Amino acid sequence: MMKRRAAALTLAVSMAAGLWGCGGGGSASTAETAPEVEVPTEPFGDTIKYDPSVPINDGKDITVELWEWGSDELFQQIIDGYTAMHPNVTIKLVNNPWEDYWTKLPLALDGQNGPAIFNVHNSYHENMINYMAPLEIPLEDLEADFTGVEAHVIDGNVYYIDYGMMTGSVYYNKEMWEAAGLTDADIPKTWDEMREVAKKLTIRDGDRLIQAGLNFNDDFHQNYLLGLNYQLGENLFLEDGRTPNVTSDAMKQIMQMLVDMYQVDGIGSADFGEKSSDSFGQGQSAMVIQWGHYYNTLNTTWTDIDFGVFEIPTFDGEPYAYNRYNGESTFGINKNAPADQQAVAQDFVKYFLANDDAQIAFNLAMSTFPAKKSLADNPEIMANPSLSVLAEHIDHYIWPGPMPSTMETSLKKAGEDIFYNGVDIDTALNAAQQEIIRDMQSSTFTSVEDLYKYAQ
Amino acid sequence: MKRKISSIGLNVFLLVLGLVTVYPFIWMLSSSFKQNKEIMALEQHLLPQQFIIENYINMNAHFNFIRFFGNSLLITLVTTVLVLYTSTICGFVLSKYKFKGRDLLFGFVLSTMMIPWCVTIIPKYSMIQAFGWMDSYAALIIPAAFSGFGIFMMKQHIASIPDEIIEAARIDGANEFYIFHKIIFPMAKNGISSIAIFQFLWAWEDYLWPYLVINSQEKQLLAVGLKMFNGQYSTDYGALFAATTISIIPVLIIYLFFQKRFIAGIAASAVKG
Repeated sequence: MMKRRAAALTLAVSMAAGLWGCGGGGSASTAETAPEVEVPTEPFGDTIKYDPSVPINDGKDITVELWEWGSDELFQQIIDGYTAMHPNVTIKLVNNPWEDYWTKLPLALDGQNGPAIFNVHNSYHENMINYMAPLEIPLEDLEADFTGVEAHVIDGNVYYIDYGMMTGSVYYNKEMWEAAGLTDADIPKTWDEMREVAKKLTIRDGDRLIQAGLNFNDDFHQNYLLGLNYQLGENLFLEDGRTPNVTSDAMKQIMQMLVDMYQVDGIGSADFGEKSSDSFGQGQSAMVIQWGHYYNTLNTTWTDIDFGVFEIPTFDGEPYAYNRYNGESTFGINKNAPADQQAVAQDFVKYFLANDDAQIAFNLAMSTFPAKKSLADNPEIMANPSLSVLAEHIDHYIWPGPMPSTMETSLKKAGEDIFYNGVDIDTALNAAQQEIIRDMQSSTFTSVEDLYKYAQ
Repeated sequence: MKRKISSIGLNVFLLVLGLVTVYPFIWMLSSSFKQNKEIMALEQHLLPQQFIIENYINMNAHFNFIRFFGNSLLITLVTTVLVLYTSTICGFVLSKYKFKGRDLLFGFVLSTMMIPWCVTIIPKYSMIQAFGWMDSYAALIIPAAFSGFGIFMMKQHIASIPDEIIEAARIDGANEFYIFHKIIFPMAKNGISSIAIFQFLWAWEDYLWPYLVINSQEKQLLAVGLKMFNGQYSTDYGALFAATTISIIPVLIIYLFFQKRFIAGIAASAVKG
């Protein structure tokens, strides 16, 4: 018995040791291949200028923490660039799992030991904003360099802005496209054309669907219901900025179009491909509308799919706006951090905003269109097809503000009731409207749709 | 004949149950050698169609796996040893000593098991902040050093040890510490083994508390690291399965060593009062 146990122990230890060896090697090689950091000596930036010669914390050593989720290398790059200019500053990067970051961060910010700098996502705006210090960069400078700043102004202060804008585009499978006899000239511009193309891409064996021309299962609320309304000139919220507008004629028209696509055109099915994003990757569906992050998913997970991207179609070619976008936010600064740490944090954010390389790297990593105006036609950005398709009309996308999640969940439920439970469109959308009103009673959210450049 | 048929039936049932239990682990192990696109493919195969070991080699891309694994091992072993000792000594006192308020004290210990963790986690967090233990292992070890469940189990188990043995030791001149360390402790090894397995498993897989109180990457634990594979928009399943496969090795070893005593310990604690 003891021999068996000893053998098991030896085996387990040797397995673990072997694997540790593998892991350790990976770590070491990362350090060995770390690129050298170029240290600028002259001020750089557009309107927001960063002067690397200005000493930080009077040249005295200081350590601050930066909390983020998921993108260590990206953040480390910008930290390395900053600390190369200011060797007296140490920025400790703390990586977090996405979901629980939003549990831990408010607890930490509420006390004395929270990070001086932290990554922000605007969907958690209400939980975070009371812990944030306003940026010390003049508002005019921010507005001169970045789009969408006005929507982030609170009582004359800006706490964070967007460095990038993410929205939806159509991803199509090039092999299926060719097999259906379609060419680049067939790229649809309108929803009618889109439906015709989708019909050609649909393959059936009798009544059985083999290949969906278009799949919107699981995310139709995000990619259609909460965006196409703008194409028809309707906002998501009424003039008071608080009352949801999900029972509008525009919303009903969009919902009806989705129903018709599946039930009349037969270009897909609510029971075919549980999640449209996976279904496209699995080679089941020929087209999907997905937001920018999907470009990275296709390049990392679904590497066998040869895909192309085109801009979202419109109803008449002259939309009020093409779609909704959401911003990827710049860092937050902890207002409860010691003053010297806050000063470093302010300087770090300024460095991030003035630094074009950092802006490009962050936008490419997230597949977001740069909010920095001078980068709108940057060649590196334009080389990314998910971003280049947005370039022409990027000023025709609307950010409604950090909407409460009930907008998504309630509309998803409405759509599922229509597709799976046979509820009629009016009843489902009315129920969603009531649910959103109820859920928003405790929210301070007010829409910023009226700040859209072409607001009517 | 009837007995034989029912025995075969029972064994077949247990075999099916065993397979159902083990299958997810086999699937995870097998998937750790697959690419993500194969893991998420429409057509699923148990065995990898294209066998790769990159998931194991690249585990460190998400976090310092070795460091996190070592940290977890250290914290788990320390808390397990502490819990074993404190549970046994408390169980001994509550079981073999008669003093005023003993039952009340035991009731208090039991009540700690009945309060959901989500109720206590915020006050516990505030206390740790007030003590200045944030980002230190004291925040993980000290609150975990006493276990209501462990004390309950050991009290029940030690109750099965005859009082006469303890009396005889006293007559022979043994002091209370000697009796505890040289007589009670060895005689309670089945119960200790059960607690060891439970405690090791709980400490090893504990996620939220270590995540909340530890900030430094160099001090973080493996359960937290495993969550790093779940990104905002996607999950690296291959690497997650590879890391999880390695992470269950210590638990398997502990179970291999203690399984016989574990079963005996659970049985004994269940029947003695």
